[in-house]
Amino acid sequence: MKASLFVTCVVDQFYPEVGESAVRVLRRLGVEVDFQEEQTCCGQPAFNSGFRSDAKPLAKRFLDTFESSESIVIPSGSCAAMVRVFYEELFHDEPDLAAKARNVAAKTFELTEFIVDALGITRLPESSGPPRRTRVTYHEGCHLRRELGVMTQPRALLEAAPGVELAPMRQADVCCGFGGAFAVKYPDISGGMLADKLRHVAETGADAVTACDSTCLMQIAGGMEKSGMTTRAVHVAQLLDEAMG
Amino acid sequence: MADRQAFMASIRRALGRDAPGASVQPPSETALSLDPADLDARARAAANDASERSDELMDALARSAASAGWKVARVSTLEEAAGYIRSAALDVEAKTVVRSAHELLDSMGIDAALANVGIRAETMTAGDESGREALRETAFHAEMGVTGADYAIAETGSVALLARAEVSRLVALLPPAHVAVVERAIVLPSLDELFTLRRGAFYDGNLGSYMNIITGPSRSADIEQTLVTGVHGPGEVHMVLLE
Amino acid sequence: MKPKTGDFNRAAASALADADVQRNMRGLYDGFHMARERAAEATPNWEDLRDRARAVKAHTIEYLDHYLGMAAENVERAGGKVFFAKDADEASRYILDLAAARGVKTVIKSKSMLSEEMGLNARLEEAGVEPVETDLGEYLIQLRGETPYHIVAPALHLSKEQVADLLQEEIGGPRYERAEDLTAAAREQLRGKFFEADMGITGANFLVAETGTLVLVTNEGNGRMCTSMPKVHVAIMGMEKVVPSMEDMGMFLRLLIRSATGQRLSSYVTLVNGVRRDDDVDGPEEFHLVVVDNGRSKMLADPALREALYCLRCGACLNACPVYRKVGGHSYGWVYSGPIGAVVSPMLTSLPDAKDLPYASSLCGACREVCPVRIDIPRMLLHMRSDLAEGGPHSGSPRASLAERLTMKAWRLAVARPWMLRLANRLARLAQRPLVKDGRLRKLPPPLSAWTRHRTFPAVASRPFRDRWRSELRKSRRDG
Ligand code: SF4
Repeated sequence: MKASLFVTCVVDQFYPEVGESAVRVLRRLGVEVDFQEEQTCCGQPAFNSGFRSDAKPLAKRFLDTFESSESIVIPSGSCAAMVRVFYEELFHDEPDLAAKARNVAAKTFELTEFIVDALGITRLPESSGPPRRTRVTYHEGCHLRRELGVMTQPRALLEAAPGVELAPMRQADVCCGFGGAFAVKYPDISGGMLADKLRHVAETGADAVTACDSTCLMQIAGGMEKSGMTTRAVHVAQLLDEAMG
Repeated sequence: MADRQAFMASIRRALGRDAPGASVQPPSETALSLDPADLDARARAAANDASERSDELMDALARSAASAGWKVARVSTLEEAAGYIRSAALDVEAKTVVRSAHELLDSMGIDAALANVGIRAETMTAGDESGREALRETAFHAEMGVTGADYAIAETGSVALLARAEVSRLVALLPPAHVAVVERAIVLPSLDELFTLRRGAFYDGNLGSYMNIITGPSRSADIEQTLVTGVHGPGEVHMVLLE
Repeated sequence: MKPKTGDFNRAAASALADADVQRNMRGLYDGFHMARERAAEATPNWEDLRDRARAVKAHTIEYLDHYLGMAAENVERAGGKVFFAKDADEASRYILDLAAARGVKTVIKSKSMLSEEMGLNARLEEAGVEPVETDLGEYLIQLRGETPYHIVAPALHLSKEQVADLLQEEIGGPRYERAEDLTAAAREQLRGKFFEADMGITGANFLVAETGTLVLVTNEGNGRMCTSMPKVHVAIMGMEKVVPSMEDMGMFLRLLIRSATGQRLSSYVTLVNGVRRDDDVDGPEEFHLVVVDNGRSKMLADPALREALYCLRCGACLNACPVYRKVGGHSYGWVYSGPIGAVVSPMLTSLPDAKDLPYASSLCGACREVCPVRIDIPRMLLHMRSDLAEGGPHSGSPRASLAERLTMKAWRLAVARPWMLRLANRLARLAQRPLVKDGRLRKLPPPLSAWTRHRTFPAVASRPFRDRWRSELRKSRRDG
């Protein structure tokens, strides 16, 4: 199986280690990974702010870059949703591009979804050394859950990961308050939502909080640092990487 | 009519049509797509089904009614029913009980049963304007209202009351306590059968002016999301199930 | 009701700072929201019901003229009168004329969002008619001169203490403390009004086209009072409330009520067919149905917003919304609040004035997840955002600020090509240098300082992923 990694602009610029983990995890599962260097951003920030004409060239660029890939894997529920769900809406009055978007959407996956649904893997290879024990709690990204309908896959992989113990979080599916432009436009409302999320993370007593989106984790990690919490924030790709490494 | 024509025209403009939808085909999702000619058959099937499952439905009704806040009493005879109503009336220290003219209540001798313990029972029926005014006053001051029911719904724990010649809307509304007597034969499985029957009534030309589906006591949670019963309607409700 | 939709930011800030509001709002999740969750789970075929109801609403709205016409004929056949009002003013005037003609002095009212939208109470008062709200929550906010805080629970924001003060001032007598006693006091106060009133005004939860039946859902019993006691009953209804068949009511009632409060059925579901019949014991002698557009056809005309008219006003999207639970109902500045309010309020008033509302969402989609008719609110918000940012039909011209537009252009430039991204990375690293400590930015200068009030920010990576790919990952192939 071949997969082109769309690493997302946030991972590229802020969390390159998440991309590295994604590459290692996929390779260990037997996937041939490539990285199209022409990629930049899926255009979501512009689309979500209402600037559709600014989002379009980026979406076109994405479609051109990945049109001939066998499958496209994205370590972000939100960016995967942009490609899979919103490109069609963006190009609703340009039938050719809409068709191209549908075609690309059909082979685009969020990382855990790709592993479980496309590769059919729910059992992970044992790590070489003794597994590192971690208690982890999982935050469910909004677009991952509600635009892509991915709910069981990340949990299944975390449960299968050697050494990882899942601690359930109350209101795990409630938004962390990030929402891209929302957090910039309404930092205090976003901060209020974040405070609730942090309370629920703290209640679990977990060592780490994880998610499939680096943007949620950016928000949660930033809040935890501000409020003096020492819980780690790690992307699911990193946890899987650690567990298999 | 001018208001209506202009209004409809503006709706059509918004919908991008200039004529009324030539022949509107209701989709299968709405019951409007089901032929009213089959209503009778469906209603009968529903009623048969209900009578075959009546034990099960009575049990289900008793459970759902209790969880909706009714005090449920299961009685096997009319005398028992009258006895239950009498003691409920005594519990609320009733001086006056108003009741509907449901035949069932006549046949259980409710008036006499109440009179025996010194409680006045008033039957609210149609009369002239001044009679109605007086009845309102009576109902307003009565401590309890007693009615039969036209249907009961096992799914939701409800009784449905139709307004008609013998049945005032106010008996089950104005007094602070209400007792509804439910016979086995009127228990329906769910809301769906109720509305099938009502739709049938419409095509038979006797829908009437009013139906009230009552599910438990009057309640509100408007103050700090705290549940309070007995706001404008009865705070205490009894369902007497007649086996 | 003069909209204050432009005040979102200030109102939200004050709600965030109000500990009472925050505590009350937190209760919504464990209360209404979880009650809905349990009720949905306990209802067989819940997801099918939602699909079916959505399909029925879609069809009805597509042929709205047809179904309204059918409904009106049937209401008239049952002895009612029907008036179609293009706006709030026409609807109010019809009611005022009727009140004047019948010499009405007191009107008892059952909760209606449309009445709030029309500002009907103020109009009645001006005409010397006393309007009395009889739903407890609605009565309380009428006394305070406020709009509803929540579609289903209008007085959600008030504490017991506030209610106690309010009622003591209005009624006199002792100051009660407990919810039971406060409710009893309000009940006593309102009882007399039910007898005095010459007109009852209700809203409408549904109107069944096939039979001309008005369906009202209440818990307190005031709806029954308003439809049984006065000689004249007036029902006001947004034009989207019509449904095709009596036999659809099982489905709609289950969805509406279980989504709203989680009850299997509300205490009272009242079905009204015109006026009292000759041999009825009681009931009104006149029944008037006022069907109101008041801007709804703007949503009807825009295929992207049409589904807002499927709304059953159950309030589930408010309870599910993490933004609503922070900012509360009044921040939205008009009658409707929460996710559906962020769509409906701008459309019924003015989108440019209410331009903050479509942005007051993290687009998390919790609203759509609970909506009984699966209204895609996030998509409608996105549609309105693009209308605002780029000057669509509802906004006329672009409404984004210069700063927003410049930020967008700068960002677009940065991500336009890989080499530009590399350049942007280098510039960002230069700019952040004085602010970074241990790889984090803890205090940003304005306008980003608000961000760092609640969270720190990661520094831009010195070696972005694309560089690491080139130098190591590409070659290493399989290392597992
Ligand atoms: S939009 Fe949906 S969830 Fe919100 S009030 Fe309307 S019907 Fe209920």
